[in-house]
Amino acid sequence: MAEADDGAPSSVAEPLDLVRLCIDETVIVKLRGDRELKGRLHAYDSHCNLVLGDAEETIYIPDDDDDESENVRTVKKQSEMIFVRGDSVVLIAPQGGS
Amino acid sequence: MSFFDFDTSLPKDRGHFASAPGFGQTPDAFAGLGGGAIGDDDAIDFEDTYDGLGDRLDETDDAFNDDTFGGGPASQQTVGRDFDFAGQTSKIANTIHEEQMLFQARQPPSQQKYQQAAGPSKPARTGYESYHDPNYIPQLEARADIWGLKPKQAAPPKQENQAPEPAPAPARKMLSLEEVEAMMRAQSLTQAPPTPAQQTQAPPVPQQQPQSIAHTQAPYPVSQGQFTGPPQILQRPQQQHQARPSSGPRQQVHAELPGHSVQGPPIQHPTILQRQRSAPNDPAIQQHRHAPSQPAAQRPPSQPRQILQNPNRLSGQGQPMAQAGPRGSLPGHSRGPSFPGMVITHPEQLLHLSEEQRAAFLEEDAKRAKRNHKIALLSKDNGLMTPQDKNFITRIQLQQLMAATGNLEEQDPEAALVEDFYYQVFSQIRGAPRQTPHQPANQFAQTYLFQTSNRYGPGRRQGRGADNHMQRMEQQVQRAVEAAKAKPKGKSLVIEGSLGKIAFSNAKTPRPLLNIKRQETEKQSHKSHNSSTADRKATLRNIETVYITLMQMEDHERSLPAPISEDSDPDAIQKHMEWRTKIEALHTKLWQDIKIMEPIVQGSHTPHPFIAILSHAKGKKAIPRIFRHIDEQERITVLTMIVVHLDNLSVVSQAIATPEEPLSPTIREEVELFSHSVMPPLFAHISESPLNIIIGLLGLILDRTNLHVVARTKIGMSFLTMLISRAELLKQSAPEINVGDWENWTELYNRLFDAVETVLPLLFPGTVNDTEDMYVWQFLAAMGVGASPEQQQRLVIGVKDRVMETVSVSKALPPEMAGARLANVNLFMRAIGLDVELLG
Amino acid sequence: MENGESKGASGAGDARDPSGFLSEIIGAPVTVKLNSGATFKGTIYSVQRSHKILPIKSCDLQSVDGYMNIALESCKEIHNGKVLRDWGDCFVRGNNVTYICADEAED
Repeated sequence: MAEADDGAPSSVAEPLDLVRLCIDETVIVKLRGDRELKGRLHAYDSHCNLVLGDAEETIYIPDDDDDESENVRTVKKQSEMIFVRGDSVVLIAPQGGS
Repeated sequence: MSFFDFDTSLPKDRGHFASAPGFGQTPDAFAGLGGGAIGDDDAIDFEDTYDGLGDRLDETDDAFNDDTFGGGPASQQTVGRDFDFAGQTSKIANTIHEEQMLFQARQPPSQQKYQQAAGPSKPARTGYESYHDPNYIPQLEARADIWGLKPKQAAPPKQENQAPEPAPAPARKMLSLEEVEAMMRAQSLTQAPPTPAQQTQAPPVPQQQPQSIAHTQAPYPVSQGQFTGPPQILQRPQQQHQARPSSGPRQQVHAELPGHSVQGPPIQHPTILQRQRSAPNDPAIQQHRHAPSQPAAQRPPSQPRQILQNPNRLSGQGQPMAQAGPRGSLPGHSRGPSFPGMVITHPEQLLHLSEEQRAAFLEEDAKRAKRNHKIALLSKDNGLMTPQDKNFITRIQLQQLMAATGNLEEQDPEAALVEDFYYQVFSQIRGAPRQTPHQPANQFAQTYLFQTSNRYGPGRRQGRGADNHMQRMEQQVQRAVEAAKAKPKGKSLVIEGSLGKIAFSNAKTPRPLLNIKRQETEKQSHKSHNSSTADRKATLRNIETVYITLMQMEDHERSLPAPISEDSDPDAIQKHMEWRTKIEALHTKLWQDIKIMEPIVQGSHTPHPFIAILSHAKGKKAIPRIFRHIDEQERITVLTMIVVHLDNLSVVSQAIATPEEPLSPTIREEVELFSHSVMPPLFAHISESPLNIIIGLLGLILDRTNLHVVARTKIGMSFLTMLISRAELLKQSAPEINVGDWENWTELYNRLFDAVETVLPLLFPGTVNDTEDMYVWQFLAAMGVGASPEQQQRLVIGVKDRVMETVSVSKALPPEMAGARLANVNLFMRAIGLDVELLG
Repeated sequence: MENGESKGASGAGDARDPSGFLSEIIGAPVTVKLNSGATFKGTIYSVQRSHKILPIKSCDLQSVDGYMNIALESCKEIHNGKVLRDWGDCFVRGNNVTYICADEAED
């Protein structure tokens, strides 16, 4: 790792490097089922299993009654520490991006 | 029984298929007669079929061998040498054997089932008999080297049998009944080798073999495909030697021999022998046995093999197999009489028996049928898996284990197939016919075919095959272990043209599906549109590098060799030197990694790389660890760098709180983290710095930073407080210090005071109700201590409102909180010689 | 899908392999469409399901790996031509990717 790093300052050699750079940073994780998590990334693996600290989960619940409106109800939950199984992960973004 | 064309099937062995008589299309009328007269064997215990049968075989005493086989060389002389025994046939001996196996394996299960269903009774065989025979030699394997053995070994067993055996093939000359009887008589009267009459049937062949063999060989066309004899012979003699009771009546021997060689599992012998033993040694009955008719009861023994042979397996492997056409054209292994023929002839045979015998026979027959049925039920699944099967399965599992752990040495897909047991067997059985009989089936197929036929008989206990597989298994394990050891850390294997890599998937590294080539130079990725994100990533990468180096250093520290002295031995000194060299290198690397020596670009929008590192939480956390590894000069450099960029620090520039807009929790957290991780090492250093350093640092702040920004943040103010109080401390403890320095300091202090005075009311981060203002009072106190009376006056004026507000607010607070807040205020008041108490 | 990508990489040397195409478009602007749950197949274009379907337009595909995980730069979540969200950098787990489409010399 060290060799790779001092060899080429490539920003992201492979996608998971982006996640690695986010270690100990606050990330936003989009999950299947209209959920989002925002929290400090403590750990991850190649399956995108994640451990987030101080995580806030946001659940988007679309209002089904009127179709064309963009009403999306959200429910938020707080977790001190949360493990996310990788298969539900859609997207991981560092918080700074948005 | 004849040698090659005969139906060698014993009663016990008559398991071949009724519809596939093999070479002879004629049913073997003589086969199986041996077991015909068992009528008096009504005392058979069920257990007998399992136990002790083998023990009853006398396999050690070959006293009658000469009688049976025609004796030594002398008798061979009489037999003659004018036949070709080891010629054409021997060349393809193995092939013939294989073909027999193939044929057997290809038999559709339906045929076998039919036989089972049709059989009037089940054989009393469990397949375990041979285990009771300590001398039992299980392994029957056709080996060409047999041919090199003395004819006595190879041929003799057949001698007696061939006489009564008609040549099954229609094209061959059949023995008439008279001839058969004549031979029988001749045998019973003399122990001499076959009669001249028999010899007449033998074509001139090389003289290596006894005539008796030659005579059976004769009927065969020389066409190799039809030769099934040699393998039978190869196998049979061994079997016979083992199984023959020394004192057994000749009839017994005779009955034993007919079993077809390949299929005839030696295990069956006990049953046969038992039956025969119980049979009266009556010539008449013997005669009957050779009559073309057979009691139905004789047939069952032919079925054990089928029962034990898992029909399912055969059905899986066997071809659908409309083996139309003359059976003789098949490399037939089946020599037994066709079943229907037996049924028809059954009554005839009974007719030959006396009334009493018939009754006894029928009774016995019924008994045996019942018993056999029972046994069949019990042993239904016996031998589904033989030890060999289990070994194979184990090997396959090991194989998969190896494949799962990723044996790089076997990347060849062919190799995988070679090791695939099922594939090999399947391909051999279903595969194209061999081009030439001289081309042997591959070794694996041979092994399997021979094993299949033998597994129900020999080899069960300690056959060479079993050992062989155990050895192979051990080798497999060894190879697996070695492969695992030698396995490089490579994550995947790329096969050219494939969609992706073939990867060794495990929990930690799931199997990638695509093979993305890395571009060595990311020429494009650097023309990033958004420089801030690119810098951000660069910073994160820098932090990562710093941590890696830190971890290496800390790891290296743990391997610190024992301290050395002058008289340490050279090795220790050498080790120590190496250790020092390494840690120095890491130290240098760390210093580079923190990017602190990057040139400072004035007025640049992008922060200095080192400062950028400090903008991340993990960067802040790295500072204390970095300080541990850097020397004094480098610490001053770090401190200077931070001080110079004080207003660029994210915890300063973004942390200016106003009463209207308090700090966000995130910033608050950052500030908290900074003051807990970065400040302590810095302050520890400041608190030991001489005055000139303090002067230099304060000068940098005044010259290079926006003091209004710095002074309005907790971090910035903490720095100022630290510098001022350190200077004050130095002034009080060492007043004798250079007067010039003090003048410098006083000048700087005055500049600072003037700059701060303008923002005094703004120093406090929140409203008066905000309790986190202690650092401001601390700063004011530090300022007040060093201030001139006139400056103190200005300070008091500047913060008077805040003091009064705080005092009044604290009156409404609970005593504890009020005390804390007043204590904060008092920090400042006492510094300028006042006290809150005075404010009443 | 495989074919389509291969055709898209017609300029590439090895068009038979989507890996080649994916290697080639690293650093290029791309549009990535995500699938999110087959159960909502019929309502792909429903506004309410905007969180189900995630067409993403990115200025810069940073990298792709063997799992088709992708890293995007300046990533925006777009639905019906509107930018729903600006993600900046983001990592997309490969199993959610329906397609990756190279944009023609766009921003």
